Amino acid sequence: MSALLQNISLIGDEIPWLGKLRQKGREAFAAAGIPGAKTEAWKYLKPRELDADDYVFSVSATPKSVDALPFDSYRLRFENGRFCPEGSNLPLQAEVVPLVETFMDKEGRAPFYAEQTDWIEKYPFAALNMACLNEGIFIRIPGGCRLDKPILLDCHICCGGENLFSALHNVVVLEGGAEAEFVEYYHYTGEVKSRYFNNIVNQIFIAENAVLHHIKVQDEAFKAAHIAFSPVCVGAGGRYESFCLQLGADIARNETKVMLNRAGAECEVNAAYKVDGWARADTTTDIEHLAPCTISRQLVKGVIGGQSKGIFQGKIHIAKDCIQTEGSQLHKALLLSDGAEVDVKPELEIFADDVKCSHGAAAGELDQEQLFYMRSRGIGQEEARQILIEAYLDEVISKVGNEQIRAWIKLLLHGE
Amino acid sequence: MTTPLLEIEDLHARVCDKEIIKGFNLTINEGEVHAIMGPNGAGKSTLSNVLTGKPGYEVTSGSVRYKGRDLLKLSVEERAREGIFLCMQYPVEIPGVPTSTFLKHAVNAVRKHQNLPELDTMEFIKLLREEGKKLGIGNEMIKRPLNVGFSGGEKKRLETLQMSILKPQLSILDEADSGLDIDALKVVAEGVNALRDGRRSLLVITHYQRLLNYIVPDFVHVFADGHIVRSGDKNLALELEEKGYAGFVKES
Ligand SMILES: Nc1ncnc2c1ncn2[C@@H]1O[C@H](COP(=O)(O)OP(=O)(O)OP(=O)(O)O)[C@@H](O)[C@H]1O
Ligand SMILES: [Mg+2]
Repeated sequence: MSALLQNISLIGDEIPWLGKLRQKGREAFAAAGIPGAKTEAWKYLKPRELDADDYVFSVSATPKSVDALPFDSYRLRFENGRFCPEGSNLPLQAEVVPLVETFMDKEGRAPFYAEQTDWIEKYPFAALNMACLNEGIFIRIPGGCRLDKPILLDCHICCGGENLFSALHNVVVLEGGAEAEFVEYYHYTGEVKSRYFNNIVNQIFIAENAVLHHIKVQDEAFKAAHIAFSPVCVGAGGRYESFCLQLGADIARNETKVMLNRAGAECEVNAAYKVDGWARADTTTDIEHLAPCTISRQLVKGVIGGQSKGIFQGKIHIAKDCIQTEGSQLHKALLLSDGAEVDVKPELEIFADDVKCSHGAAAGELDQEQLFYMRSRGIGQEEARQILIEAYLDEVISKVGNEQIRAWIKLLLHGE
Repeated sequence: MTTPLLEIEDLHARVCDKEIIKGFNLTINEGEVHAIMGPNGAGKSTLSNVLTGKPGYEVTSGSVRYKGRDLLKLSVEERAREGIFLCMQYPVEIPGVPTSTFLKHAVNAVRKHQNLPELDTMEFIKLLREEGKKLGIGNEMIKRPLNVGFSGGEKKRLETLQMSILKPQLSILDEADSGLDIDALKVVAEGVNALRDGRRSLLVITHYQRLLNYIVPDFVHVFADGHIVRSGDKNLALELEEKGYAGFVKES
């Protein structure tokens, strides 16, 4: 891994704040290294093995032909980690620009998001992402604007011989009262066994009374690594709603840190994963209730087959004096094989009175009585299993508000 | 002579290392209705589970031939597709699976096996409406998750609906009458009788003679301690109702 940062040359290093920020990222990453089993926050996923691989950035982007998705969107195409203006269509009502365009301010000032990175030391992969800060999208939805279609970040990797590295850094800003849907879709074509690494940071800022619906689908290759971190700030009366579907990758982590900064801020962080083979799917959340009357809800459901592994680490922190706060968290997993494994670590830190906080975890197998009942009506064993799996995940998928996107997710999960 | 539909010979079966079926014999021909009555715990449900192939039920000796083939070699779903249907004493609840979705999968699995084209959604809904109406099962019930929160009577009516749609060759009714009020009993019995076309056969397990007033059997068998202790015609049911099982069951 070390070669990646040595050979890197990025535009804009002469811009003082940018050069400094990348430097800070490099230093934080070098200090932390790639975490292994001894680092508490990473003890289940243990991504240390990534260190042995050498990765390269893709030189240029040649967009593949664009597959139609079953929902209408403003589509931003990334091919092998590079933005492709050709394959993209941008909304007019909002500011949507490649991140690099935010680097050049006449007075040489840093954009505000660059100053909101005090978490960098704690997140080694986010530090690595910062060291490579270059690719990504900046989205600003002006106050009161309700975007008519979702913004889709269509990130495609064309797997070939070399180990590609892609570092996307997206900034999503919703001003007061704005509402938008933001969809991230990670997929690939080509050699399923090639290694590549998607390293993503989404900095999300939701101002007062604004609402963001954030959907993510991670459908990576068998040997891929996918590590994403989304720090989210929510203002008074604002709402962050997310749903993440993890389908595959050798090593995958989707980590969300929500800071409910002002009274009335809410979040709903839901996820589903369905993994097989030797895949590892990690969902990590850190919900910080930093103001009174804030609400958070989390539901994560996983289906684990083969020798694969599901991980859920969920933290709810309720700060002092944050009364009348509600936090709930539930993780459930369905184990389909003897080799399947699930690791769950809930953590509650409550420093306030008059709060409602709950967490729960359950793991089980397919119900034999239910399987028998269906088979006794002529439904084949495999079909019956699929019906039960679908029903199991439906509880969380039904929380996706957009009907077309919900249908798309079901299609990806269960086929036609 | 034609082959019997079902031929059970000296069947022994056990659950959890406990022998429950002990030397059971029964032959059912096409079009016949057989009733089985017997005390609690005699093994009636166990017999129906063995016939449908429920995992955990182990046949230790004896044979079961269905349409001349070795039934015990077939998987649960193969038996169902070949026309064996068990109307369960305790239908299973399946949260998250709408009743209609489940029924559509079942109908098409059976049709596929019979080399019939699968029903599309419109055709299926039409069939469901027609058959549901006869059994007082409305749209609302069919949208709900399978059996979840259904009353005892509703569950039994849904079992009957499945029977009407799947049109099995051999229906085994395990206490189809339990939990039914008098009107529902008639509705269910009508649904079952509608299947009697002189070719389909029924095996009716019940504790009450009353059901047999509606579904009139050709034969009645007394089942105790894992096998049949006496057989007769429908009058045997009346005799049982009057005298109880005392005269049939050996003192143990
Ligand atoms: N899974 C099991 N494990 C242990 N014992 C079992 C199991 N299933 C059935 N049995 C036992 O087998 C015997 C027969 O049970 P079965 O349910 O077949 O009786 P039944 O004739 O249907 O009774 P009822 O009229 O009450 O429905 C009972 O003693 C019961 O406890
Ligand atoms: Mg019984």
